[in-house]
Order: sequence, then structure tokens, then C-alpha cells
Amino acid sequence: MNPGHLRTGDLAARQAALVEALVAGGPDPAGFDVARLASTRTALLRKRAGETAKLWPLLAASHGNRWQATFAAHAAGREGVGALRDGWDLARALRTAGALPGSAADELAEREAGWRYDGASPPGRRRCARLKALAGNVLGRLRG
Amino acid sequence: MVVAAVAAAAEQIPARPIPASRHSRSRESALSGARVGTGAVGPTGVGIGWRPEIAGVVEGLPGLGFCEVIAEAIAPAAPSRGVTELRGRGVPVIPHGVRLGLGDADGVRPNRVAHLAACAVAVEAPLVSEHVAFVRGGGREAGHLLPVPRSREALDVLTRNVRRMQAELDVPLALEPIAALFDWPDDEFGEPDFLTELLDRTGALLLLDVANLYANAVNRGQDPSAVLDRMPLDRVAYVHVAGGAEHDGLYHDTHTDPVPAPVLRLLDELRDRARPPAVMLERDGRYPPAAELRAELDAIADGTGFTRVT
Repeated sequence: MNPGHLRTGDLAARQAALVEALVAGGPDPAGFDVARLASTRTALLRKRAGETAKLWPLLAASHGNRWQATFAAHAAGREGVGALRDGWDLARALRTAGALPGSAADELAEREAGWRYDGASPPGRRRCARLKALAGNVLGRLRG
Repeated sequence: MVVAAVAAAAEQIPARPIPASRHSRSRESALSGARVGTGAVGPTGVGIGWRPEIAGVVEGLPGLGFCEVIAEAIAPAAPSRGVTELRGRGVPVIPHGVRLGLGDADGVRPNRVAHLAACAVAVEAPLVSEHVAFVRGGGREAGHLLPVPRSREALDVLTRNVRRMQAELDVPLALEPIAALFDWPDDEFGEPDFLTELLDRTGALLLLDVANLYANAVNRGQDPSAVLDRMPLDRVAYVHVAGGAEHDGLYHDTHTDPVPAPVLRLLDELRDRARPPAVMLERDGRYPPAAELRAELDAIADGTGFTRVT
């Protein structure tokens, strides 16, 4: 389907083509200002990098002022799957490439000890971590 | 904080719709007359967008007029303690949706409609707000608020979605025009006319974001004052003010930078034309020291002629 042929009367398809262009590496739909679409893509990546940094503080901090560029290099053209998974995917990719700094590696290891994440669906707490959290809760309440 | 945030990020909005409308109607009689649909008393004075990171600062604002919370960040069954405390102090709380997608041509999702409605009930909101934007398409999430074409077709989509949302609410819905870095090639309306038509069709109120207005005007090469003149200012429920920054020759409404002087000046101009009933600051990251936030709140109060809340 060539988005250039989509004019009025099919807003759903035109919105889909635009989202694909902005977040999933699709071609720019015809008629739009390509420079503005590029600025929007950059702004989206900057926003995702900020959201990811909140959930992966050591991953972000270990990259210092290269964080946004590092995140963007990984995430450009890759649809966002939420800050938790975006950061997780990036940390794993960096680990595979042998480029994950020590503190960030600890952060990833700690997360993987408590959570199950298959790289494709939302992470869930591991059973033992869940039990530990539950036990902590109960103990906390008993102690008042 | 991070652990709790990770757990929250792993949570999904429940796929099974909560029967919010029935729930809310059964509660309506128990609430004050201020919550009646038409002629409702909305927020007044100076407010702020409540975020967990600045909960302490918000808690320390004695004169706070109201707060806004991101609807997708709260669980109606158990709102955050900070939010509950604000309600306990009698501070009105407005759920502000960011992922409903009132401009989605595929229609709004029932679970998201139900969630926003349930949030309104949970915090006894005087009104609810969302954006004139689309957020997903073809099964993909944009992760951001995107502009719709200002066309009759988009007006029909928005009208249909807004009415679906309104049908689940016992309180008014206010619509916020977004800041967008691009326009569609086939716009049939200017932004003020498009909004006026949408508000006329739906009876919705206007959540006017002066930073968005400034951003769009500057990036389109328009005069912000002239755009302000043409906005349906008689429909304003409340006003957003936020910071931004220039990147690559464009003004970006970042919510992570200080509020620039031209945006504050626009607030002065708004007061001269039609003083808004309420105004609030939005900050979404790179939080400054408390003193800076308080100074921005004071500047906003001064700009709109309200008593300072700090």
C-alpha cells in the first residue's frame, strides 16, 4: 500500500501510515513536511529516553550526556513498548555487545533476578520474588 | 521510588471494562451539587499537575486551588496516597487523560473510556480533560499526542469519540488542543475555527494550554496574540502553562524546561481578554528545586491576577 495514494476519506489508514512513519521506520506519507516529521521523530525519541531513564536510572546515568544518543541509536525505527521494556531491551542489547557499563549491568541483573521478561510480552514478577514481596508485606504489617 | 515505578509500568489498564457509569450514577446523589453536569463549578485559582516526584512540593502549597493527575497513572480503586491526601484537604483533583485517543479514527477503546470515567468517580472530580489528538493507528501506539487533520472527516471522528466519552461521565469534559510540530497537508480549518466547531458540536469545554498555543503559532510563523484572539475563550474551563525549549529552530513544548517569558506574557494577554477561572503549571521531568517551581507558580498567579498559592 502506497501511503501517497491515501487522500481524504480514509483517516484510519492515513493515521496508521503516519504512526508507522513516526515510530516504526515506515516511509513518510506524501504531502507532509519531511523536516517536521523528522523533528517529531527526534522529539519522540527524546521523550522516550527521558521516560526510560526514570525506570533505568543507572543505565541512563552510566551513559552521562550520551544517554539520549545511545537510546536513540537503539530505539529509532523501533516501536516503543513502554519505558520498562524499552530500557530492558536496550540494556540486553548493550550486554550482548559487551558495552553495558558495570553499574547498569548490576541494575539489569537485579531486575532479571526479580522479574521474568521474554523480550516480547510484559514482564511479570518471578514466583520467588512475588512470595518474598508478599512475605515482606505480611511481616511489615505484623510489625505495624 | 524506582521499584514502585517498575511495578506500575508493568501494570496494564484492565482489559475488562469497569462498569464506571453505573457506579458513578449511584454515587451522584451522595455528592455535592457542585458536581451536576451543566453549570458545574469547575476548578478555580492556581493549580499544578500532581506528579509523584514533586508530591512533597505540592503538599506544601497552602493555597493550592486544584490539582491535575494523569489518568493513566492512577488506579481508581486505590489512588496514590498523595492524591488521596489532597482530596482529604478538599483540593479538587482533575483526571487528565493522555492515552484515550479522542482523534483515533478507529474509535476510542471501551476499557480506556471506562478507566477515565472511573478516575473521575474515584477522585470526585469536578471535570475531566483529554486532548484533541490521536495516539495510535494500525495497531501501533505513537507514544505521543499527534495532531489530527483539521478536516470535516476528523471533526466527525472527534465528535463521535467525545460523545462516547461524555456518555460515561457525570461531569463535564474539557478538551485540550495539543502542541504539534507538523500539520497535515489537507487542513480545511484554522485551529481556532476547528476547535470552536468541535466545542459547538459536543458541548465540551476548552482546556487552553497557552504554551501549546505559543508553540504552534511560532512554529507556523503566526502571531500568538492573533491566534489567541480567535480562540473560543468563553469556553475556557482552565488553563495550562508549561515550559519549553528551542531545538533546531523549532519551539518544543517539553514540560521539562522553565516557562519562557513569551508564554507568561500570553497569560497576561489572556487575562486582558477573558480572565480564565483557573490556571495550572505542568512539569513532567528534570524537576527543578522547589524554590524554582514555587517561583513559577507565583509568576502564573501574578499573570492571571490570582492570589499566590505558595
